[in-house]
Parts: sequence; structure tokens; C-alpha cells
Amino acid sequence: MLLLLPGVALLAGVVLYPLIAALVTAFFEQSLVLPGRTFVGLQNIVEVLQGDFLRLLRQTLVFTLGTTILPFVVGFALALALNTKIRGAKVLRGLMLIPWLVPGVVVSFLWMWIFNANYGVMNALLQTLGLVDDPQAWLAQPGTAMGAVILAKTWQSFPWMMVMLLAGLQTVPVELHEAAEMDGAGTVRRFFAITMPHLKGIVGLVLLLEFIWNFQHFDIIYVLTGGGPAGATQTFATAVYETAFQGYDLGKAGALGLLWMVLLMALVVVYVRFSEKGEER
Amino acid sequence: MSATTQLPATPTPPSASSPAGGDAPRPPQRLRRGALRSERPGVRIAAWATVVVCGGFGLLPVYWLLATSLTPRDQVFSYPPKFFPSAPTLDAFAALASNEQLFGYLRNSVIVSVLTAVLSVLVSAYMGYSFSKFRYRGRRSLMYLVLASQMFPQALLLVTLYSVFSAYNLLNTYTALVLSFTTFTLPLCVWMLKGFFDTIPDELIEAARVDGASRLRIIHSIVLPLAAPGLIAAGLFAFVRGWNDFVFALTLAGPEKQTLPPGLVNTFIGEASTAWPELMAASLVVSLPVAIAFIALQKYLVGGLTAGAVKG
Repeated sequence: MLLLLPGVALLAGVVLYPLIAALVTAFFEQSLVLPGRTFVGLQNIVEVLQGDFLRLLRQTLVFTLGTTILPFVVGFALALALNTKIRGAKVLRGLMLIPWLVPGVVVSFLWMWIFNANYGVMNALLQTLGLVDDPQAWLAQPGTAMGAVILAKTWQSFPWMMVMLLAGLQTVPVELHEAAEMDGAGTVRRFFAITMPHLKGIVGLVLLLEFIWNFQHFDIIYVLTGGGPAGATQTFATAVYETAFQGYDLGKAGALGLLWMVLLMALVVVYVRFSEKGEER
Repeated sequence: MSATTQLPATPTPPSASSPAGGDAPRPPQRLRRGALRSERPGVRIAAWATVVVCGGFGLLPVYWLLATSLTPRDQVFSYPPKFFPSAPTLDAFAALASNEQLFGYLRNSVIVSVLTAVLSVLVSAYMGYSFSKFRYRGRRSLMYLVLASQMFPQALLLVTLYSVFSAYNLLNTYTALVLSFTTFTLPLCVWMLKGFFDTIPDELIEAARVDGASRLRIIHSIVLPLAAPGLIAAGLFAFVRGWNDFVFALTLAGPEKQTLPPGLVNTFIGEASTAWPELMAASLVVSLPVAIAFIALQKYLVGGLTAGAVKG
């Protein structure tokens, strides 16, 4: 098929070959800046497993779960609220998309400013509400940095969740709700008996996609904290990048990447299965 | 019935949820979907409370972005911050306009994003057409490999891309940036365009073949013109994804060839006192083309959403 040739060639050149070659470096001692490499077998992988792996896995999971569940909660709440007939729902639907339209670095700049230790509006807000006594350096304290990063990413992600779930809510037949209401089913009861079953597919899809994307999210973490302080917001994505491009240790970056890919591929296989079901209607 | 009578003026966009049967005047007996006609007072109060809390979370930072960009530079460094800038000014925007390095980043961003969009659409159109209209061994595997390939982590691809581009002296060139951007734009364009081609009736292609048109002729004179809205939509999505990229441009290019996202980080972040009004003003400027593209793309959004056009 000649039609496929340009696409396949490009894909092989910029995606498949680089991916495989990067995974292969896991078995070599290799530097980013020096030529040549030595085969070292499983040494890199063993070192990674004995070193940072579990901490990175834990932090990546905290970030990923936080940035999947929080946007889902906010996005779903908004989708349900804006699916009612309240005044201004249409305008609000549009306005709520703004956080999602701005590029990732802009999200980082904005939240870096909001969380600023000396002049940040977050400190002012929390002090006014009496929730903190003194201004906090949210992004520079190991205890608060991850939470702050998750909040920034949540702000970027929730509109997408809202749009998808609103689209799902539009497909729920109103007659079912009205009939159930006549039969005396309350709002909560109808939500679980009618709305949720209709949304099952879309809810599964958005959670899975969001989880996969966040499992490898880089931009916001890197700009906000660079993985710090003291590695507290380091995830697989920032750790692989730092190991390769600041530590020049391609072997160790490849080993980390190999372990990361194994976990990621499991998720991607689930996603592909999911898509196949939708495709073969 | 002749095939040409079915020729649609514009193909309908691919949409995962479009119900079978078109959207001509709806028969009255059809189920109404969406919102209830009337809600109980409790539901209304809950809806409003949600809108206030979640809407505040969504919009207050946007307000803060705008307010800071209009705040005079010396007022920014005061605590507690003033929620309403007392003497709003456009100084920050004026400062941007006189910053030549930023214009360099802007030019790079425009060039790289446009080239990425053009290359992605060109290559994906053929691939998407092949996936849509032909059946052959390995088609499904290849399709899902393309879909999965946008989920391979960029940090890992960079490990090799950096070395390869370095070996061919391509670091710090537009070529390196455009090629690396296609890693995420190609899968998205292929899937979006396949969706568009699916809506072009097979009979139309069959009729052209009977009339003796060659395969390439069919693609170039019949299919692509019909799919023009789709090509434009896919191209705009590719443009936006290229415009938003941070990590590839940060790593593969130096200051002369870098795009705006890493350029802004290099210009503003890490200094002793960040020029916040200017950074917020620059953030608004960078976001503008994306916002415009999205307004143009509204009706393709939901179809593009599941294809990974825009990440959440």
C-alpha cells in the first residue's frame, strides 16, 4: 500500500525506532555526551529497582490518581449542575473551558504566581479565611508541593472532564427521569438508577484516558517544581528526563523508562481494547 | 439511485456519539434527552452551590491572570496582594512589544506549528484514507499501533531523538522540532481523518472508478476536496498541539530556534524577581491563538476529544 508508506516511515522513524532504541539503552552503560557504550546486562535495572523505583512509583501514582480523581469530581459536579435549567448555564459552559484552552506552560506560570511564597494570592486567601497562620512556600515545602502541583493540573483538566460528561448527560432520556419521578423516585435515587448506568461507558473512558495521560505528564510538574523540593514531586516522566538530560546517564534513564513503559503499556492495552469495542459497532 | 445525488455539501464531522439516523427535523415521538424541564428547589440550590464553588475554582485564577497583567510592576510586590489593581496599566504589554527576543520565539512558534500542521495533514490524509476505504491484512493492528503510539512517553522518545538529531547535526533546527512534533500530531490526525473519510460514501468512489479514474486521481480530485473541512480541523488541532509543546522544543532547540513555551520559561523563570505582570501578559498572548482555533473548531471538539486531539 503506497498510501501508507509516508505515514509508516515517519512513524517508524520518529516514534517506534526511538522508543525501542531508548528501551535498549537500559542494558548499556551509555552517556548522552560521550560516544560509545558498554553492555552491562541487567545492572541498570537492578540499580534502579534498588534505588528510587518504589519512591517514584508511589509519587507517580499519587500524582496520577490525584489528577484523575479531582478533575473528575469537579468536572462531573459542574456537568450535572450545568445540565440543569439554571440561568446562565450556557455562558458558564463556555467560560469553564478557559482553563483548558491555555497552554500547559501558562497553567504553570499562573499557579506559580498564585502559590508564590511572598506575594501569592493563595496565602492571602487562606489567611483571610483563617486557614493558615503564616504565608507558606507551597511549592518549596516537601509536604505541600505535590498537593500544589496536583491542584494546578486539576485546574487544567477539569473542563475536559466536564465537556465529555456533559456530552454523556445529553444522551440520558428525560422521559425515564420523568416517569421515575412520577413513581416517587427522589433525585438521588434517579441519579444512581438512571443517570449513572447511562454514563458508565463515558465515565470509564474519561477516567482511563486521564489516568494514562497523567501517568506520563511532564510540563506542569517540570515548570512548577522541577521535581523538587528534594525530589518530592518527582515522577517517572521528570525522573527519566532529569537522568538523561541533566545527569547524562542514558543507561539509567533507559532502565527507568523500561519499567515505566511496562506499566504504561498495560494501561494502553486496556485503552485499545476499549476503543476496539467502540469501533466495531 | 445514482451515487452523485448523495454527495453531501460538507461531510458531517466524525462524532463518537452521533445517533444513527441524522438530525433532520425530529419526529415528535422521539425521546427528549438532556435536562429535566423543572427541578426541585433542593436541586436548584445544589446546582448553584456547585457552580459557585467549582466555577470559582475555574474562573478566579483566570481573573488573577488578567488582573496581574494589568497591575503596575511596583504594585505586584506587595503583600497582601490587591484584588483589584488600583491603577490598571498596559505597561506590561508595552514591555512585551519592545522585547525582540520574544518576537524571535513567536516567529519560531508560528513557523514550526504551521509546518507541523501541514506535514501531519499531508501524511495522515493518505494513511487515514487507506485505513478508511481499504481492507487488508494488518490494517487493524497498524491502526491501533498508531492510536497507541501517541501514548508513548515523550521523555523516553527524547532520549533517542536527541542522540539521532545530534548525529545528523539537526539539533537546533526547525526540522528537528517539526519531526519530533509529528510524534503526537500524526496519530491524532490519522484517526480524525479516518473518521472524516468514513463519512464519504463508498458509492461515490465506486462511481469514479467505473468512470476510469485512477486511485490517486480519486483521492486528489474527489475525496480530499470533500474532506476539506476535516483537513482544516485536523490541521488546526495539529497546530494547537505544536503551539503548546514544551518539552521537545526545550530539549532539541537552543534560544535561536526555540518556540514560545520554553522561550518564556527561559526569559522569565529563575530570575531573582520575576516580572509577573509581563509574564501574565505574555501568557495571555500565547493563549490567544489557541483560543481562536478552538472557537473555530467548536463543532469538531467532541469528535476530536476521544481521538486525543486535546488532552485533559
